Amino acid sequence: MPVLDLEALVRDYARPIHGYLWRLLRDSSAAEDCLQETFLRAAASAARGDRVTHPRAWLYAVATNAARSYGRRLARGDRREQAMDLDLVDVGAGVPETAERRERLRRVEAAVRRLPPKMREALVLRKYQELSYIEVGAALKSSPAAARANVYQALRRLREWLAEEVEG
Amino acid sequence: MSRRESTRPGDRTGWESWLGDRRGAAKPPSLARDLDDVYRVGPGPAEWERARGALSRILGENVPAPLYYARIGRSPVGSLWVAVSEQGLVALEFGRPETEFRRRLEQRLRRPAVRADDPTEEARRQVLDYLNGRRRRFSLPVDLRHLTVFQRRVLEAAQAVPRGQVSTYGQIARRIGRPRAARAVGQALGSNPVPIVIPCHRVLASDGRLGGYSGRGGLRTKAKLLRLEGAMAR
Repeated sequence: MPVLDLEALVRDYARPIHGYLWRLLRDSSAAEDCLQETFLRAAASAARGDRVTHPRAWLYAVATNAARSYGRRLARGDRREQAMDLDLVDVGAGVPETAERRERLRRVEAAVRRLPPKMREALVLRKYQELSYIEVGAALKSSPAAARANVYQALRRLREWLAEEVEG
Repeated sequence: MSRRESTRPGDRTGWESWLGDRRGAAKPPSLARDLDDVYRVGPGPAEWERARGALSRILGENVPAPLYYARIGRSPVGSLWVAVSEQGLVALEFGRPETEFRRRLEQRLRRPAVRADDPTEEARRQVLDYLNGRRRRFSLPVDLRHLTVFQRRVLEAAQAVPRGQVSTYGQIARRIGRPRAARAVGQALGSNPVPIVIPCHRVLASDGRLGGYSGRGGLRTKAKLLRLEGAMAR
C-alpha cells in the first residue's frame, strides 16, 4: 500500500474534489471550507505515514465526511446562517432560457437536496465525478453493489417526486 | 486550469436509458437532462481560483508541520483535549467530540492535527497533576502566536495572577494599560485557548462575583478550580 503523497494528492485531486464539494453543497464558501478541511486531514494522514490503498477514493471519503459534518453544523445553526443558494443564476450552466425552465431546474435541485445524503453522494460521485462503482463504494464505505443501488434509488426517487410535481 | 470541469458528453446515453427516458414521449422533461443542466458544469474558474488560493495559503510550498493532540480521559473537571505545537501548548479544551475538537483546532491554526500520545505526554501529565493537587504551578511553554496582540497581553497578565489569588477584569485592563477595556478583557479571557494553564479562572467580575467561564461546567468549573487553589472556601 502506498504512503500518501500530499503533493500529488493536491495536484491531481484538489480540483475534482472541489467540484464534488461544490456540487454537494451548492455554496462557494462552504465548498472552500470543506476543501481545506479535506486537505488538512490528508496532510495529517501523510504526516503520520498512513498507507492507503485507493488514494482517490480515500480522499473522496474524507471530503464526503467534511460535507456531512458541514451539513450537520448548518442544521444545528452553529454557523452563520447560510442561505442555500437556490438561485440558478449561480448554477454556472448559464442562465436557463425561460422562467419555466429555471423553475423546473430549481425543483430538480431541491429534490436532489431532499435525497438521503448517501444517495445524493453516490449519484454525484458516479455521474458527475465519474468514479467507478468500486470507488464510489470505497468512498461511501459500502460495497460496489450497494453504491450502485444507491444511485439507482436516487434516480428512482427523483423521478417519482418530480413526476408528482408535474402532475400535481 | 481555466477549463471548466465537466463530465464527458458521451456519458449521457447510458443513464438516460437507465432512467427510461428514451422510451415514450419526452414529457415530463427528461430527468437526465435536468440533472445534467444543474450538475454537469461544476464551479466556475473564479470560484476554483479562490478555493485554490485559500488552499495553497494553508498548505503553502511546504506543508505545515502537524500539531499533536491527545485526550486526558479522566480528571476532576472531566475529560480534556490537549494539543501542542513545536513551540508549546496551543489548546486545552474541555471534553467535546474528537472530530469537533480537531476540526476547530485545524481551522483555528490552519495546520493539520494528528492524534499522538508521545508529543503531548508532558502537557497531559502536568495538567493532570495540577488538577489532582500534585503540582502547584505549570512549567509548560505556551504557544500563543496565532492570537492578536491584545489577546496575548490579556492572557499574559492573567498568567501573572498567582495561585490562590484572584484579580478582576478591570484590574487586568489597567495592568495592560487599557483601563477602559474591561469588557474586551472579559472577551479575550473567554477565548483563552489554554484554560487552567493560563488561569483565566482567577479573573473575576469587578463586583466580586465570579463573572463568566466558557469551559464545560461554566461557573461550577471556575469555582472548583478556585477551591482547588485555595482562593475560595471549600
